[in-house]
This record gives sequence, structure tokens and C-alpha cells, in this order.
Amino acid sequence: MNFLSRMSKKSPWLYRINAGSCNGCDVELATTACIPRYDVERLGCQYCGSPKHADIVLVTGPLTARVKDKVLRVYEEIPDPKVTVAIGVCPISGGVFRESYSIVGPIDRYLPVDVNVPGCPPRPQAIIEGIAKAIEIWAGRI
Amino acid sequence: MTDSLVQTLSVLFAAVVFPGGIFAITLGLALKGFDRRVFARLQRRVGAPLLQPFYDVLKLMTKRTLVPENANLVVFLMVPLLGLASMGVAAAMIPIPGLYDPSPAFGDLLVLFYLLSVPAVMLMLAGSASGSPFGGIGFSREMAIMLAYEGPILLVIVSVALKTGAALGQPICLSLSEIVRYQQAHGAYLFDPWMWPAVLTYIAFIPANLGISPFDIPEAESEVLEGPLIEYSGVALGLLKLTSAVKSVVVIGLGIVLFFPNGPEGLFGLVVFALKCLVITVCGVSVLRAAVGRMRIDQAVIFYLKWPELLGIASLALVAMNL
Repeated sequence: MNFLSRMSKKSPWLYRINAGSCNGCDVELATTACIPRYDVERLGCQYCGSPKHADIVLVTGPLTARVKDKVLRVYEEIPDPKVTVAIGVCPISGGVFRESYSIVGPIDRYLPVDVNVPGCPPRPQAIIEGIAKAIEIWAGRI
Repeated sequence: MTDSLVQTLSVLFAAVVFPGGIFAITLGLALKGFDRRVFARLQRRVGAPLLQPFYDVLKLMTKRTLVPENANLVVFLMVPLLGLASMGVAAAMIPIPGLYDPSPAFGDLLVLFYLLSVPAVMLMLAGSASGSPFGGIGFSREMAIMLAYEGPILLVIVSVALKTGAALGQPICLSLSEIVRYQQAHGAYLFDPWMWPAVLTYIAFIPANLGISPFDIPEAESEVLEGPLIEYSGVALGLLKLTSAVKSVVVIGLGIVLFFPNGPEGLFGLVVFALKCLVITVCGVSVLRAAVGRMRIDQAVIFYLKWPELLGIASLALVAMNL
């Protein structure tokens, strides 16, 4: 690893995509960032508003038919190199919405998923571990 | 011939290495790191490492730079460069008391005043050139708040220039070096009760110019997704971050020069200057940012047109009475 990639590893910016989630995982993501006990900023993370600033993308939700095109378009807007983390059981298998008429997931049919964090919703500790793993993968891609 | 060459080279050195350019970038990013750390501690979080802004900028240098389809390519990519260049020159115009005296070739306080508004104009251009509706909203908000805070800061600058000029027997003194020299000989303006309205106005000006809560309205990340910066990525975004870091050094440094430049000679003066910057960053930026929420744009404009403007006029009147 050269100097730039060693430095970059310490600054992963996170972006959240809600692919039709019930909001449970989004609340856990907010908890992960915003309360003192699980502060992800200590890993150098920062939630950013624009997909163009992001390095690690956190996808929640089972990918409904309605949001599929929008999710794929937002995903395209994230500059390379990027890492995808599927948060919660929904993007992995569909969860309780599995085999519903309005679901086109699982998400790895459309996006390359690097880390799966199962749970309904996953605990903040699990999310932080998933982000830490994503940082390792991301460092290898710089 | 050689004299002018030496002068050109020294001006270039001042703008690119010290105290503009590299030095100002380092100091600005370090101040930002401290600010983030103090902010996190005020929220009882651990917070990012002190060097986090350096990591962020280095990371952005490795990322791909995307240009939106409906953006104006030339303006979109020129804006970060122009912003950083103007701030590099502005930082070279700030004297560091006891160590650095800017060359007269840089111009005086009025040039610095104009340079200070360049990054805001560049941010507006960035917002409008990106072709994003959020960028457009950021553009109009930045313009509104800029019109509101430019008046008070001009009043402050004129007050200080008039007061120093009267003391030196000139109509007006626009040279920053002379303002520093006068205060080092006769005591800082910070301890002169007649100048307190001007000090207060300057303190109110800092958060609006640096885009800090409660006046981070143009770049509100939770409403307009960082406004003008929304479409930027990679190196261009890194340059914009560097611009804002240097801008914080320029704005805080100008405050120090106008009101409290006293410090020891030599390298120790640099340490004192950096410590003053740090104190202002912690008290005027981090604590304020942690304590208040964001204003609406109309509230912010009315606030600036009311209180800092009044204080600015009051300070000018007080200076005029004492002439």
C-alpha cells in the first residue's frame, strides 16, 4: 500500500441509500452515527448528503420495484473506488417482504455487494463491524 | 532588474509557501481538526482524530472527479482553483506580528476586503455551474447572506483604518503592517472600550463568512445537501475543502491583526499567532456550532442587517467622535 492509500483508509465517508426499507435499519444507522456510545466518527467516518462525496454506500431495504431505477442511478453517481454494504436482512434475502409482488431484490442481482450485515435490524455494533470490514476492502481498491 | 526579480520571487514565495499556500493550508486544516474534536467532545463523543481533515483531503485526491452532464465544464472546474488561489494570496497579505510583514506589492486592506469575498462568489459560481437545483438554492442563499454581512465588515475595517490613520496623522491608514505596528506600540484595540462595538461586529461576521452554524445556511447538509458542493467530487472537492480551510485562517488572522496583534518577536510570534487562532476557533466556532441550530435565511439576513450593522455604525460613530 502506498502513502495515499494508507491515508485514505482513515477517511471513509458513508452514504445511505434507502431501497424501500421500513426505516428500522435507518434508525439504527442514525444511532450508530449520532450517539456517544457508538460514535463512528472515531473511524474517520462521516455521513455525507451527496452520493458524489461518498466512499462506502450503506444500502437498507429489500429493493422495491418502484425505487429500483432510482437506487441504481444514485449508485452510479458514487465515484470509484467504492464499497457496498448491505444493512439488514432485507437487501440480503428480502426479509419479511420476501416473494412479495412489489419486491425485485435481493440486491446483489443488481449491485455488487461486498459486506452483508444481517439482522432485523442489526445492532449498532454489527453495523460498525461491517463498516470496519468495508474499510479494509476499500483500502485494497484505492 | 535583480531587485524586481527578488521582489517577484519573494511575493511568489509568500503566496505559495509561507504564510499563504502550504503554511495556511496546514494551519487551516489543523484548526479544523481541533474544531471537530472539540465539537465531538462537547457532544460527549470520542470524535475524529486530530489529523482527520488531512486524511480527508488526501483521500479526495485519490477519488475520481465526476462532472455532471448539464454542468458548465470550464466554470465548474476553474472555480475551485480560483478560490484557492485568491485565498492563498489573501493569506500572504495577513502580517504575522513579529515575524512576517507583507510586501507592499500585495496592496492594502481594501484589496484584502475584496479578496475575502472571492471564495463566496466562487461558491455561488460553483452552485450555479453545477446545474443542480440544490446548487441553485445554495447560490441564492449564499448571495443573500453575503449581501447581509459585507456591510458590517466594511464598517469595521473603515473604523480601524480611520482610528489608526488619525493616530498616525493621516486621513486614513489602510496598511495592515502599520496597523500592527501602531497597536504593538500603543496597546491593542481589543482593550480599548471605544473599539468594542467593532470587535463584536467582527465576532458576528466570522460564522457567516466561514459558513458555520447558525449561519451555515448556503451549505446546510441536512436541507440542501451541502448546496454548491453537491455535484463536486474527487480533486475538485478537495480543492474546495482546502479553500475553506485557508479562508478560516484568513478571516481569523484578519481579526487578530485588526484587534489584538501583540506578540513576541521571531518564531515565538508564530506560535502565539497560531494559539490565538486556536482560541478563536474553539470559542467562536466549535462552541457556537455545538450550542445553536441553523437559522432560516430570512432570519439570518435580518439579523445581520439589524445588529452587526447597527454595531458597525456605532463603532464608526465612536471612532469619528474621538478623532
